[in-house]
Amino acid sequence: MNRNEFPPGSAAALVLILGSLIWSLLGAGLQLLATSQLLVPLLDRLIAAPWFSYGRLVPASQFLLGFGWLGSGLLGVLLILAPRFSGIAFRYGRLLFGGALLWQLSIFGGLTQILLEGPSGLVGLPQPHFVSLLLVLSFLVLGTGLTRGLGRTWKSGPVLPRLYLLLGLLAFPLGLGTAEVLLRGTSAPGSVQIITQVLWHSFYQHLWLAPLGLVLIFQLLPTLTGRAVNSLHLGLLAWVATCLLGGWLGTVRVSDGPIPSWMQSAGVIAAMLMGVVALGNGLLIQNLTEGRWEDSRRNVALRFIAVGAWSYASAYLLLAFLALPWFRPVLAFTVGWSAFFEIFTYLFLGSVLAGSIYALLPVSRNFGWPSSSALTWHFWGTTLGSGTTASCLLLAGAFQGLALNDPGVPISTLASYLRPFLFVAVFSQAVWLFGQIVFSAVLLAGLLRLFPAAAPMAVFRDPLVIRPAAVDPLHG
Amino acid sequence: MKPTRALFIVLGALILTWVSQAAVGYWQVGRLEPVLNEESNLTEPPVPSGLAHTGARVFAAEGCLECHSLSVRGPSSSADLTRGWGVRRTVPRDYLFREPAMTGFSRIGPDLSNIGARLPDTEKLMQHLYDPRLLKKSSTCPPHPWLFRKVPAGPRTEPGALKVSPDGWHQLVPAYQAKCLVAYLQSLTVNYALPEAPLK
Ligand code: HEC
Repeated sequence: MNRNEFPPGSAAALVLILGSLIWSLLGAGLQLLATSQLLVPLLDRLIAAPWFSYGRLVPASQFLLGFGWLGSGLLGVLLILAPRFSGIAFRYGRLLFGGALLWQLSIFGGLTQILLEGPSGLVGLPQPHFVSLLLVLSFLVLGTGLTRGLGRTWKSGPVLPRLYLLLGLLAFPLGLGTAEVLLRGTSAPGSVQIITQVLWHSFYQHLWLAPLGLVLIFQLLPTLTGRAVNSLHLGLLAWVATCLLGGWLGTVRVSDGPIPSWMQSAGVIAAMLMGVVALGNGLLIQNLTEGRWEDSRRNVALRFIAVGAWSYASAYLLLAFLALPWFRPVLAFTVGWSAFFEIFTYLFLGSVLAGSIYALLPVSRNFGWPSSSALTWHFWGTTLGSGTTASCLLLAGAFQGLALNDPGVPISTLASYLRPFLFVAVFSQAVWLFGQIVFSAVLLAGLLRLFPAAAPMAVFRDPLVIRPAAVDPLHG
Repeated sequence: MKPTRALFIVLGALILTWVSQAAVGYWQVGRLEPVLNEESNLTEPPVPSGLAHTGARVFAAEGCLECHSLSVRGPSSSADLTRGWGVRRTVPRDYLFREPAMTGFSRIGPDLSNIGARLPDTEKLMQHLYDPRLLKKSSTCPPHPWLFRKVPAGPRTEPGALKVSPDGWHQLVPAYQAKCLVAYLQSLTVNYALPEAPLK
């Protein structure tokens, strides 16, 4: 196969997406191990090694899932998508390829350091300093490439995805760079460090990852359903609100903690307003997906992105719920918060990422998906797996919180409160992992063209694809 | 929307967020000073020893934070004080000399903000680190045996060796990390009064 057949940047996208798959399997695997250890504390007595301890598995899996799976994967699909915003093809394919490799290298470095040397103890920054620097460097390369896709004038094409892309592209280097300087470059007083950690964590989740997910939702849902966003004004308002509120959401988690109390109150208000914003975006999503259930049964990309879009709204509604004055003191310090991260990470961003890979990778690499029943397995495995895990964790969090706030309950019995929920959570995390393994197998089989395409679903057919995908059910 | 206007809004929002939290935060709690305790003539919060300082990194690297928080809440929102995890809530000034400053967001185990006052005994802390079940049969706190060297028991007891032996044949000698970690745990106290947080 002649490599010039593929558009520039597609090799970088492939590296990012394949890397993302590996990190997702590894990250979810480590998370499964960690949850099993909570369930059966005997496990870490059998294998008494520092890298196998709960205290290292949890930060390692969070790092892998955030930076490795979602970070790498979202950047990968955006590299395929961005040139289609403006019709301007990438020019420096090799440079992007280098950036993509560097990202994988940083993830590998971070993973080994966290497992072997231990996490840093900083919220959202478990990796060592040099890994953050490599990540920023790689992001500058990839992000500069992506800005080309934004185009100089935004006369053609939808505006919302570009706006969210702009937000995500700026928030990451700004947030990570300044957090590293304040937390590890200079020695800020401890009291300020806590504020900075929480602030960076807000940037990371709500101003970097979430906006990148929204780019894909607002670009691909209209493309897949053939509808336009019905109220641009509502969309713009939600975007501005996200820019302004996102950075405050982390403080909701610090209930009665050692940061100025006005910041905690501001976080609560921001979370409630963000719930309203999610409802606003939910209205747009509702309009885009309404009556399309028949299509989404046939089109797995649409199905995943629709689930991701609804999970976006649910995640932020749950956050608003966690901020309510009755629930916040009870659920602080509990696995109830893990339920939020489960919905945010797996159901919102994970589904959007999977749907985007289904929709975009065939265009970029010119292939079709080999098996439609495997796609169904992937969908139900991951969706049911993460949905069940999230519900279990939320219930477990409620019990844990009530027990923690009842001084009559000794800490040692807390574990028995959690056990039934953890049992189901371990099982459902394994189901998710199964779905993701199926996905990886299908993707590899498709890329290697091991089987004839049975379920092709390219979305775009445009001049940037030098040889359009063979079958194009939507536009063909 | 024009690209330049969008850029302006995003940058404005991000900078506003940073300034109003990091900069205002710095101005509000970054300038706090330790206070002098007139009775003991020492400053509070106490400055941790070099050993404890390294111990904070061991605490972080072993991931104790995934199960233990370092932040006591007040009586109005929680049972932290009734549980005996502290004698008052923790405030920003308590973290002045903490490096890295950690609060933790998870409580699978008890809060450790005041563990230095609750469990000051070195031998007990060491035993707990080696295997929590030496002190409490049902404990689900994970063991950290890699923080200890196993030395054949001879006529001579190694300095600092634990009073318990895993098998009768070996003695357990705390590694440097274990000593640092225990010093750190012993330095974790919030049992002094501060102007903004009196002891009731
Ligand atoms: C998997 C979660 C977990 C991890 C990780 C963990 N602990 Fe624990 N720890 C617990 C639990 C649960 C208890 C309460 C056990 C009981 O009383 O039954 C506990 C109890 C303790 C106690 C006794 C507290 C008291 O109030 O008596 C100390 C001290 C302690 N842990 C220190 C540590 C240190 C130091 C680390 C890191 C090296 C650590 N723990 C890591 C779960 C954990």
